[in-house]
Amino acid sequence: MIENLVEISKEQLLSQVQSMKYDNYRFVTASCVDTGDGYLDVIYHFDLDLELKNFRVRVKKDEEVPSISKIYFCSVLVENEMKELFGLNVTNMAIDYGGHMLLSDDDLANPMAKQQIVIEKRGAK
Amino acid sequence: MFDMLGSVLKNLVSRPATRKYPFEKREPLKDTRGQVGINIDDCIFCSICSRKCPSDAINVNKAEKSWEINHFKCVMCGVCAEVCPKKCVDMVEQYKTPAYSKSSAKYVQQPKPASQDNKTA
Amino acid sequence: MSRSVIPFGPQHPVLPEPLHLKLVMEDEKIVEAIPAIGYVHRGLEKLTEVKEYTQNVFVVERICGICSFMHAMAYCQGIESLMEIQIPDRARYLRVIWAELHRIHSHLLWLGLLADAFGFESLFMQVWRNREKVMDIMEETAGSRVIISTNAIGGTRRDISKDMLLKIRVIVDEIKEDMKQLEPVFFNDYTVKHRLVGVGVLTSEDAYSLGAVGPMARASGISQDLRTTGYAAYGELDFEPVVEKDGDSYARTMVRLKEVYQSVSLIKQAIANIPEGEISVPVKGNPNGEVIARVEQPRGEVLYYLKGNGTKNLERLRVRTPTFANIPTLLKMLPGSQLADVPVLILTIDPCISCTER
Repeated sequence: MIENLVEISKEQLLSQVQSMKYDNYRFVTASCVDTGDGYLDVIYHFDLDLELKNFRVRVKKDEEVPSISKIYFCSVLVENEMKELFGLNVTNMAIDYGGHMLLSDDDLANPMAKQQIVIEKRGAK
Repeated sequence: MFDMLGSVLKNLVSRPATRKYPFEKREPLKDTRGQVGINIDDCIFCSICSRKCPSDAINVNKAEKSWEINHFKCVMCGVCAEVCPKKCVDMVEQYKTPAYSKSSAKYVQQPKPASQDNKTA
Repeated sequence: MSRSVIPFGPQHPVLPEPLHLKLVMEDEKIVEAIPAIGYVHRGLEKLTEVKEYTQNVFVVERICGICSFMHAMAYCQGIESLMEIQIPDRARYLRVIWAELHRIHSHLLWLGLLADAFGFESLFMQVWRNREKVMDIMEETAGSRVIISTNAIGGTRRDISKDMLLKIRVIVDEIKEDMKQLEPVFFNDYTVKHRLVGVGVLTSEDAYSLGAVGPMARASGISQDLRTTGYAAYGELDFEPVVEKDGDSYARTMVRLKEVYQSVSLIKQAIANIPEGEISVPVKGNPNGEVIARVEQPRGEVLYYLKGNGTKNLERLRVRTPTFANIPTLLKMLPGSQLADVPVLILTIDPCISCTER
């Protein structure tokens, strides 16, 4: 349903993004979706003259994804957000908030990811 | 430098743009979504309003014949008034006044007079 | 020279929004700025997973208080294209009228806040007095001043009567006239110019590569306005994106002030062309599939990524708000500027932190 959606592997990601930069595309944002079967979908959105071009990268939950913030600096915020909310393992970010951009230490880790939440009663053994 | 002068002089001679609030209150405009009200006698306790409410503010109990709204959860969207099949839930124009503590308002339908039941039976 | 770090915000008199910046200073000059957000993260994206897709309209409206209508509009347009719903023509025009009223009130709010930031209190009050007229129209047409909740999937929930449309036309003309009187103060006043001209220059290359959107991009000479793609009824109305070349704070003020006039003209065109008829169509079924919806908000482009799975709950709703895209430009503008200019610079990106963190 999404126009101009291309499925790529994570090895292709950096070279594809580099070629988008070369073609003068604007980085819009990236979206992360937990598909529920142990995989995360990361969709990178680019814009040229109000036409979107999207790349979908499918990775396992603990797999490393290279950061594109060295090519598009503005991806820093969204990569930190995905790392915190979904537990996506993004490496080599230009600014790394270390999981404290939106959440604090007391919060549940990766709240947007689909996971079994076990609430332990205080004092229970 | 003197660009503001016109406006300044105009403001000097014109009436203030604000109202003297506690003494002079504006009438609520027509169709303002002030707060949710109910005509409990017409309610059939179908609980559609409670299911459609985006903030889970309404509680309907069919056995008790009660209808309860938590005004502090309500977001004044007016969906309950829109979906009500008997049109007994409506939006009242007057705003709810601030309160010191959160509470909910409960309405219980009084049992209908027995004579009416005999007539229909 | 020794460096010192000054924390700016999250509580600062210049803006009520909790934006926190760590400013690395050399004397009075900023060498580095690091943003820290996360003070108002509410987890609204998570909340949308447990609400029905029809209820989500009210959830996304509460992402932002100022552009609430446009959030709901983007979401509804996304769901409508996913479920292939054709909304009535009258609803498309009503959406334009309310959306442009929101743009006027957002820009007037910003112009007032800017005047307040450089200490021009009386200008701030003049602008906000004008804004009050828009708020009264909102309450009269929609029943609420800010979060107007008139959007629904399949159209709008309320209609505007013919008399009211004529009244809106008179009021927006009044707003335009009043703003024309204040315009010379913003454009020619010595003190105002002193605080704005040449402050925070963002070249068009920088703006583009940092992903600036909305008035930020347009003030740097990038003609980029999503309304030109013709969603809702914009395709049938006549307008040109407002573009300025200089890229400084003065240019951003000009863009926003001229966009107020543009919105007035759009509202008048929409009122002249609005067709009679239904305002909504019934919606059946549940959304299934993925879609991206984009809308031009007062602050810039908003992107909605929606994924449905055939149930009444959405699998994923993702919002990229305009301020999220504009914060990197702030990091580019701040280094090299003076500490006294920081409030004005932060204000010129029109920050909405509750939008950013959702």
